[in-house]
Amino acid sequence: MKDFIEFKNVTKTYFIGDEKYNALDGISFKIPKGEFVVILGPSGAGKSTLLNLLGGMDQATSGNIIIDGENIEKYNANEMSEYRAENVGFIFQFYNILPTLTVLENVEIVKDIVKRPRSAKNILKDVGLEKHLTKFPNQLSGGEQQRVSIARAIAKNPKILLCDEPTGALDSKTGVEVLKLLKKCCDANNGENTVVIVTHNALIAEIADRVIRIKNGQIDSVVENKKPKNIDEVVW
Amino acid sequence: MLRRKMLRDIKNNLSQFITIFLMVFIGILAYTGIESYMMGMQKTADKFYKENNLQDLNVIGANFTTNNLDDIKKINHVKDAERKLSITATTDNDKTLLANFIESNNISQFYIVKGEKFDVNKKGVWLDDFYAEENKLKIGDEITIKYDGYSFKEKIVGFINVPDHVYDVKDESELYPDHGEFGFAYLSANELASYIEQKAMDKLGVDKKTLEKMNFNYKDELVFNYVMVDVDKKKNTSSVKDDIEKNVENAKAIIKIEDSESYKQYQGEIDEGKTYIGVFSGLFIFIAMLSVITTMTRVVKNQRTQIGTLKALGFKDYKIFLHYMSYGFYISLMAAICGIIAGYYGIGNIFINLEMSFFEIPNGAPSLEIASFICAIAVIFAVILVSFLACRKQLNQTPAETLRKDFPKVKTASINLTTKKVFKKLKFSSKWNLRDMLRNKVRTITGIVGITGCCMLIVCAFGMLDSLNSFVKLQFRDLYNFDYKLNLKEDISKEDLESLKSKYGNSTSKSNLIEIKDSKGNKTTNNVFITDANDKVRFVDNKKNFIKLSQKDGVYITYKLAKNEGYKLGDTITWRLVGNDKYYKSKIIGFNKDPQNQNMTITRKYYEKLGNTYQPDSLYTNKNLKNTKEIKNVELIQDLASLEEGMSKMLSTMKTMIVLIIGIAIILGAVIIYNMGVLSYTEKQYQFATLKVLGFKDKQIRKIFIKQNNIIAVISIILGLPAGYYLTDWLFKTAIEESYDFGASISIMTYIYAIVGTFLVSYIVSRFLSRKINSIDMVTSLKGNE
Repeated sequence: MKDFIEFKNVTKTYFIGDEKYNALDGISFKIPKGEFVVILGPSGAGKSTLLNLLGGMDQATSGNIIIDGENIEKYNANEMSEYRAENVGFIFQFYNILPTLTVLENVEIVKDIVKRPRSAKNILKDVGLEKHLTKFPNQLSGGEQQRVSIARAIAKNPKILLCDEPTGALDSKTGVEVLKLLKKCCDANNGENTVVIVTHNALIAEIADRVIRIKNGQIDSVVENKKPKNIDEVVW
Repeated sequence: MLRRKMLRDIKNNLSQFITIFLMVFIGILAYTGIESYMMGMQKTADKFYKENNLQDLNVIGANFTTNNLDDIKKINHVKDAERKLSITATTDNDKTLLANFIESNNISQFYIVKGEKFDVNKKGVWLDDFYAEENKLKIGDEITIKYDGYSFKEKIVGFINVPDHVYDVKDESELYPDHGEFGFAYLSANELASYIEQKAMDKLGVDKKTLEKMNFNYKDELVFNYVMVDVDKKKNTSSVKDDIEKNVENAKAIIKIEDSESYKQYQGEIDEGKTYIGVFSGLFIFIAMLSVITTMTRVVKNQRTQIGTLKALGFKDYKIFLHYMSYGFYISLMAAICGIIAGYYGIGNIFINLEMSFFEIPNGAPSLEIASFICAIAVIFAVILVSFLACRKQLNQTPAETLRKDFPKVKTASINLTTKKVFKKLKFSSKWNLRDMLRNKVRTITGIVGITGCCMLIVCAFGMLDSLNSFVKLQFRDLYNFDYKLNLKEDISKEDLESLKSKYGNSTSKSNLIEIKDSKGNKTTNNVFITDANDKVRFVDNKKNFIKLSQKDGVYITYKLAKNEGYKLGDTITWRLVGNDKYYKSKIIGFNKDPQNQNMTITRKYYEKLGNTYQPDSLYTNKNLKNTKEIKNVELIQDLASLEEGMSKMLSTMKTMIVLIIGIAIILGAVIIYNMGVLSYTEKQYQFATLKVLGFKDKQIRKIFIKQNNIIAVISIILGLPAGYYLTDWLFKTAIEESYDFGASISIMTYIYAIVGTFLVSYIVSRFLSRKINSIDMVTSLKGNE
């Protein structure tokens, strides 16, 4: 399949005092369209930095990031906002949904930024929250909040769904539910949606189409999983 | 070490601590400023009155003889008494001088600004210092004082202030002393010799030599129309007044010094200050405290994990308490010290200098009062208490809990309303902001109170000007329907009066002091206006509609007098003319509104029906007297245009105060919006970061951020406009002198200024703050939230 995401020799450098620290140290990899990708690595390996660069939340110190043929590193702030709005759906470990908006409003908010959003009510029905539309986030469980976050992300109809430890704050049963949802998102839209999950949970790798392992800011391995397991087959 | 931490924390949260500093500073500045100016005025006057022996009573009559003077001196509790002749004269350059001829100067003594001490044997004139300065006169200059066709040519021997002339106006209808046009002068009674001799020669038709041969002594002909009485103790003033009334036949009116215009106006100004101090400093300190509560809570909340760390390290709770309380303590202590200094030297000095250009009193200086220090200490304690309470909330938790991030709690019940009815149709940004405001009630209320205060002060500042303009219109255009008022001489003959009437019209009036006796026998001094002025002096009802006085028997009284004394239409009022023992019982047949005097009005017809002879003291005309300097039998020609001009001068003085109030309003609004904006931004930073991640552009997020302050500004304007109206109305109705009766009359333009001004302050500060959105680092903000 055609490469959709390409990292070319990307470096991200931070300065801690006078000390230079490379969170990502010249990494390169490719991800074809429609894959369910897991990025694995220990704490401090650079996983989140990679995800932030991919999501247009941060910019690389050097190197190029090509998304669907466009080098996003050349984007200005406005173009980057548009890229995030139209192409990327973010799912965070701690959900980051807006506490003063109801479930429905948290998803409908994307109408203000996306040209062709999906129906918020339909998506919330798909994620099983149709009975909670008028509730506020603090009236929901962690799993439900994460589902709101997923609904908000997919309501934008994004090309890439980026998930930063999406099950990290959930119990295993709820975590499985969330993973099933993410897998469903990836399979929907004729398999055109790419899902990238950053995690340190190696078990998730078993269901991925591709597993990228990172260590000390460098690519340790990129493994294509010819036969990914079904979520229910994995022993959590 | 903790002190070092404190200093660095303050540096890191500089804008929030600057806000605390500014709010406490403004609060204390306002209190100390007004207190020191107000008390400065009181003490300056007390000292002046005491050191220069201000009289306790003024006895007014046609002519007090030496026997009359002796009679008064013999009355129990009378310490001393002095006669004076007070006449309204003109100068060779057509200025007006209240010339006083005295025999001694032990009562109401001169304060010599420059020149010589008073001596009855000394020739020359002691002149009003302000008048001299305005007219650029020097010691040694010669001035001509013209009275009754006679000219006194006098050399200036001194410039003086006199406790009896702190506030002097040419005529009661003049509201603002014009020191360039009107002043007072003192001369020895001996200076009257040649005038009296001249009068005698004219009367007898003889020359000076013949007069000398007739053993004529001018001293036998001296006329004194005032006796100033010094009473041993204040409490005995009333009994002395009663005794003079009973024993001194010539006494037409006896007025306590507290009821004299000069004393009353000055004291009224102090009372006004007393109202201001309560309202303005109360408002500022209240807003300061609200602002400190939100800021300190936020600062301590931000230190939550550090508090947890200190606890985990083993720091005792009291040490942590002391540490956090010291933040507020040092900042508010510095602010309070600066506020006291700036209040005393700045506001206090500015205001007292402003007052001292209006009132003629020497050595005016602000006075730093213990109350200002008490206020400062109370504010510092309040800030410490707020810090303590904010800290206690965090310290009540275990170190483990405190070390965890405190997620903002959403009380669903309070924001549920915004999911229903009209709110459903609102844009996401409106809903989000409304709910955020409901979630952070203290912050929102502080913002609303602060901006309401800002709007209210702008309305009040411009509204004061509007109201005074409306007062001027009512007084000088509606009620006064003439161009000139001629103050007639007391001894004008019937023929002369008729001749004046035939020349200038027959609209006349007379004012007389009266004594009103209530059902319990309590007596109050007032004034009756006896009108035969046709439509030259008009009357209005409470709604400012013109009324025509009924020719029926009875009296009209002003609404305010009726309200104060509890009179109703149809009630009977018992009164007598001062100088006449006979009491009348008159029916109240109507009320009229008078913005300047609260008195009684009767028609000439009724006055005569009561058995009195109508001898007018004023004549009103619309004839052009622009070039007329003097009219025979007329003591003073009052030009309505110049009265209005005098008022305009007062309004321009007021503009300084208005600029100051608006300046404070803008600082208040800007500081509150900035403070609340910083808090709002800090609290919502991660939410803004989330919006940014979702793909919202910076411009869109900035709009959302500004919207909240816009909502607060709109709510505040809705509250601030009526609040400004009521504050202005209240200030006019309660703070100003009792004899006035006018409330707020605010123009549409003032409301427009207030709306635009308040909104601009809010918008500009919000826009400035919203620039922070551009620099939100999504990664750090969202990580911080984890």
